[in-house]
Amino acid sequence: MSYVESLRCKSVTKFMTGAFAALAIGIAGTASAQDEFKPSPQKFPTDYGDITFPAQYPDGTAISITQWSHFVPSYDEWFGQYAQKWGDEHNVKVTINHISLGDIPATLSASIAAGQGPTLVEMNAAPSSFIEGLQSLDDLNAAAETEFGDQADTCRYTSYLPAKDQWYGFCHGWVVDPGVYRSDLWSDAGYPDGPQTYDDLLKGGAKILQDTGTPVAVGLSPELDSEFFARALIWSFGGALQDKNGNVTIDSPETLAAVKYIKELFENALTPEVFAWNPASNNQAYIAGTASYIQNSISFFRSAQDIGKPVTQNTSFRPGLKGPGGEVHMPAHIWFTYVMPKYVTDPDEIQSAKNFMLDLENNYSHATYNSKLYNFPAFAKQVPQLYADGGWLDNDPWGSEPADKMAFMKTAEDWTVWPGYPGYANPAVGEVYQTHVISTMMANAANGTKSPEQALKDATDQINKIFKKWRDRGFVGSGDN
Amino acid sequence: MSTQQHSGVPQPRGRMGRLSAWLDQPKVLAWLMLGPAVLYVIAFVGFPFLLAIALSMSDATIGDPSLDKFVGLANFSAVMQTDAFQLALRNSLIVTAGTLALVLVLATLASELLVHSFRGKRLFQMIFILPWALPVSLTAIVWMWFLDSTFSPVDWVLVQLNLLGPGSVWGPFNHLYFLGREWLGLASVIVTDTWRMLPLATIIVLAGRMSIPEERFEQARIDGAGVFRILFRITLPALKPMLIVAILFTGLLVIGEMSLVQLLTRGGPGHSTQVLPYWAYLKGIQGGSLAQGAAITLFLFPFLLVASVLALRAAYRSQEA
Repeated sequence: MSYVESLRCKSVTKFMTGAFAALAIGIAGTASAQDEFKPSPQKFPTDYGDITFPAQYPDGTAISITQWSHFVPSYDEWFGQYAQKWGDEHNVKVTINHISLGDIPATLSASIAAGQGPTLVEMNAAPSSFIEGLQSLDDLNAAAETEFGDQADTCRYTSYLPAKDQWYGFCHGWVVDPGVYRSDLWSDAGYPDGPQTYDDLLKGGAKILQDTGTPVAVGLSPELDSEFFARALIWSFGGALQDKNGNVTIDSPETLAAVKYIKELFENALTPEVFAWNPASNNQAYIAGTASYIQNSISFFRSAQDIGKPVTQNTSFRPGLKGPGGEVHMPAHIWFTYVMPKYVTDPDEIQSAKNFMLDLENNYSHATYNSKLYNFPAFAKQVPQLYADGGWLDNDPWGSEPADKMAFMKTAEDWTVWPGYPGYANPAVGEVYQTHVISTMMANAANGTKSPEQALKDATDQINKIFKKWRDRGFVGSGDN
Repeated sequence: MSTQQHSGVPQPRGRMGRLSAWLDQPKVLAWLMLGPAVLYVIAFVGFPFLLAIALSMSDATIGDPSLDKFVGLANFSAVMQTDAFQLALRNSLIVTAGTLALVLVLATLASELLVHSFRGKRLFQMIFILPWALPVSLTAIVWMWFLDSTFSPVDWVLVQLNLLGPGSVWGPFNHLYFLGREWLGLASVIVTDTWRMLPLATIIVLAGRMSIPEERFEQARIDGAGVFRILFRITLPALKPMLIVAILFTGLLVIGEMSLVQLLTRGGPGHSTQVLPYWAYLKGIQGGSLAQGAAITLFLFPFLLVASVLALRAAYRSQEA
């Protein structure tokens, strides 16, 4: 049972919990609700599961971390201070190098080829294609699970490869990818609670476009957000790229229905701008007031809050839309996954890097808080302030109006999946994602370059070739482990 | 009386003197002067090129770039069978040819303008050279704004002129969506590449134009030749060697460039504006198939090599003539 599920079970005994809480408050007297929902005090224990770390490392121990510049700048500020403090406490020199998100794979690739580079690299998506150049982090993940409880599936399936029986990364957090809509426009169109299903998105989106000229703004371009929208659509229609064992299942009536749907959606509720978009475009369109619905993480909303954009008042979020069968599946928007390349051979460097990762998870309430609830913990138990009744999601510390605007994310772990769902994010899944096979299929069908049937057939051919290549190398399969 | 006095040329004395004399020998001096360039070419061109060939015939991945398994031409065969590769090849040729055509016409016109004196010429030259001085990324960002699907000033002007928008010639939308349509996207890439490459090509062509004696033009004018006759009978034939050099430089720089497409269209919609260098990057680095990425980058090499040799030979011949 995941921590989030356990929280739901606890609601059954809400009366008892409330009674105990009231008693505790009465006894403590001075404890206030504000204190209760502050980040937990930072702790740096030496024991995690079966791993024991030294309190202090030998002089000269150093680790370097290359990670992408966070979309919520306050996170990077906090992280820099935290890493410095951690280094001082453990006698380790910690160097952090921030680079842009898009440069991460090339940087890791160059480092592996050169046989030298940073100790840890933070990836934003499953880096399984790098597995041969990465150290196994089996012990680290085992220790984390012993200490912190169940890891979110969206993290587990994107940092472990069953075909090699290896944890190639440590996913410390992930990002929710909700649907975002303009409540004023949707209310006027007869949907006071916003679109609930893909059918609502089509009908309501078309009406809003007709009435106000404001389109639905989901991308059909070779970029991250378009890839995620396409996957959410396919999953919610009951299709999938692969099954749990890595067999290609994309060519299905469910996927075809999703492809036909995108064509209809484009013809009725989108404009051709979606073919040209980059990852920032739907945010820009939404903030500019020229989008009725987007699918994106909350970072754009935080930016809009910071600059006082009025659109935040009419912004509502929702979990993904329901498909024809009522299924809702959304990908995480980003995974924070540390990897340690094989060229890192110094025992103290390896040990201290593992120590750093486990300590970060142990103090994750700070990461979640300072990212303005952008970073969700891989281990939900680590940030009780987030999910608790009256906690950060119920009462946004960063000033959303109404204060429970972010409460929809309490169930995010239930509807969030990952590239490769229901199987693991193997290298074939990664190549399909990075070479934009799915978004291209959708775009080709939407703009009439190909019929939906032909677009699906061509995409299936490509996907089969990619899977065969990686399967022949032993990277795909054994998902029933 | 010494030899030195006989010849009139001071002969070397001592160790330094002998070293100096040895260094003065044409063969030694030539190697010394060429040495750094040769070393540079070997280290930064020759070695990576050989490595790319080796990678393209291996099963290397991004996580294991070792060359321990030879697979022959399998990677070339695999990449050629995909739609994306075929579109990328087509687009690379279209973008290069389109850019070359525009650059040659504009560079010839610009050199005609710049060869004459006029007020503000220096300022014009400075502004003209600016696109070449800008980093590619900055060029792309400028054009991204210019061609933006929501905020494009070009669209705004067209709407004001009633050429765009509901009921207009190019309606019904208020935007042309330059980067969201296949041929407009390709045209946008060509125009941006032209904007970026024009200064270099103009400098090359201008050098050739300035070397044509002015008397030839005066003579032609006295004989009654018009502008076009002078252009086609005197200017262009005389410029031929430099035009070939401009074609060579521009063509090679454009066909190997991936940043513009990466930033402007990302190869979309679908793969309809994809080009080979960016496809190689997506496949090889982002997608993890290093060997297939290398095969894509090398695909055009034999053709480019032949084209370059032919172009250079033509340039030499026309110079000798």
